[in-house]
Amino acid sequence: MSTLKMDLSSYKDLLKQYIETQNEQALYRAEQFSKHSIQQNISPDEIVDVHVQALSELYPDIPDNIMNSMNFLLETMISYGLAYQEYQALREKQYELQSEISVAANMQDTLLSTTKPNLEGLDIGVTSHPAKQMSGDYYHFVQDQKGSVGIAVADVIGKGIPAALCMSMIKYSMDSFPDEQMYPSSILEGMNWVVERNVDPSMFITMFYGLYDQASNHFYYSSAGHEPGFYYSAKNDEFSEIEAKGLVLGVDRSATYKQYETLVETGDMIVLLTDGVTECRAGERFIERDEISDVIHQYKHLPAQEITEQVYQHFERLQDFQLRDDFTMVIIRRDV
Amino acid sequence: MNLNINVDDNEKLKTVTLSGEIDAYTAPKLKETLLPLTQEDQAVVKVDLEGVSYMDSTGLGVFISALKSTKEYDSQLTLVKMNDRVYRLFEITGLTEIIDIETDSTVRGGM
Amino acid sequence: MDFQSCVNIKKEWDIVGARQLGRDIAKKIGFGTVDQARIATAISELARNIYLYAGTGKVCFEAIEDINERGLRIVAMDEGPGIRDVSQVMEDGFSTSGGLGAGLPGVKRLMDDFDVISRQGEGTEVRVVKWLR
Repeated sequence: MSTLKMDLSSYKDLLKQYIETQNEQALYRAEQFSKHSIQQNISPDEIVDVHVQALSELYPDIPDNIMNSMNFLLETMISYGLAYQEYQALREKQYELQSEISVAANMQDTLLSTTKPNLEGLDIGVTSHPAKQMSGDYYHFVQDQKGSVGIAVADVIGKGIPAALCMSMIKYSMDSFPDEQMYPSSILEGMNWVVERNVDPSMFITMFYGLYDQASNHFYYSSAGHEPGFYYSAKNDEFSEIEAKGLVLGVDRSATYKQYETLVETGDMIVLLTDGVTECRAGERFIERDEISDVIHQYKHLPAQEITEQVYQHFERLQDFQLRDDFTMVIIRRDV
Repeated sequence: MNLNINVDDNEKLKTVTLSGEIDAYTAPKLKETLLPLTQEDQAVVKVDLEGVSYMDSTGLGVFISALKSTKEYDSQLTLVKMNDRVYRLFEITGLTEIIDIETDSTVRGGM
Repeated sequence: MDFQSCVNIKKEWDIVGARQLGRDIAKKIGFGTVDQARIATAISELARNIYLYAGTGKVCFEAIEDINERGLRIVAMDEGPGIRDVSQVMEDGFSTSGGLGAGLPGVKRLMDDFDVISRQGEGTEVRVVKWLR
């Protein structure tokens, strides 16, 4: 208020200049004045008040009815002033929330961090991007002494903070399993039991668990209602869907999971993903699964990590750089 | 991004007809309508999904909680007439094995 | 100086009466046009809350004169259902009167001092002060 009172004389000068010349320069300075006022948190009713005062000083003979109309205008501006202050307060609150979420997102990154195994003869790539700051997607690698690699990919229903909270639960239960070679079916059965006891009835989690045995080049896997991945056969230069049936985690405590097995030949690729990949929308159109395998095929000469990144960039562009769901893709290729 | 819910609350059979999209925004509304129906003792509830063009996993969550409540209240839930894309979601997630889904080949056909 | 004066709130029209009396007293104390308008808006909010949520109540005015300061105290009281969660009502965005009212956070912004005492089932008393500067 005090700064504005100081500005009263300059406002009066401006107004006078404009009334006399009606030139653009005065209007430009009016714009500057309003920007400055906004910075000082000055509300519209105060501006009207300054205007009224300036007017009465410039034209002392101004008719009463005009002055009264000005007071009427001021009265109508009071609620706008309040709305403006509320907006400012909410904006500050939003910044606060935003920074809290960034802290939480950092914590999540640390919590969920997993090391991609570096193995002779096995090329592994992974890309994961949350739609919002926090992710409802989970992926994790486990490596044992004998050269087997366990890969978990999971997707919690929904996204954002609720999904992220649920994700921490998966992380801790997965950590409770021993690091030795665990078969996918028993891992999913164990997880299902934990999830069923700990989540809301409308919450569920889909999960794919695979175990790659480097000694025999066999891939064992089970799925709990997870979006099917792709298997690329180098010999036939063809993609097929990794079919695995199984109920999502958290619905039926007694669910069992069938385990599948396949021999992986040199050059073959296993592609695992979350439904953020297949649920991509380009405008009103959904992306067909063929489009994903086509894009992977296009980049198949690249290292696995680069393929996942290229696929992500491709679909990010298709969605105008606004992900609607978390996106995770893992590629495992047998090199020798 | 809208969902229309129409309930025909007959004493013997409650029919819920849906049209539009079931996603994170519309799922709460569906849950509010559907759960009280399946939470009635021995109620028979039929949900018609013919007009549903899109559904995401939040929608599945609603049907899962409705299914869980049928066990508690000895009621019945049947889903009818869903398009291929929606059916695929139920299939992938293994829910076709535990939810009663009536498929109509004339509606579903043409994959 | 002035003896405490009150306006009973029973119907919507009484809001106008409360504004009028409040503005007259504010003018006498020496508040300028902007502050008069703010005080009147605060009175509207307080009186409307009584009318909408308690049915009846009253709004009282008192001119305060200290050695150092002069101001206007407004007390709005009712015997309505009370406010269950005052903190929630004081949150921005939790607007009460159909989303359009400035609500109690608005009243707090319009005035200098603000206090509310509410007991469930017994009623609510809002005390606010605007100081003359």
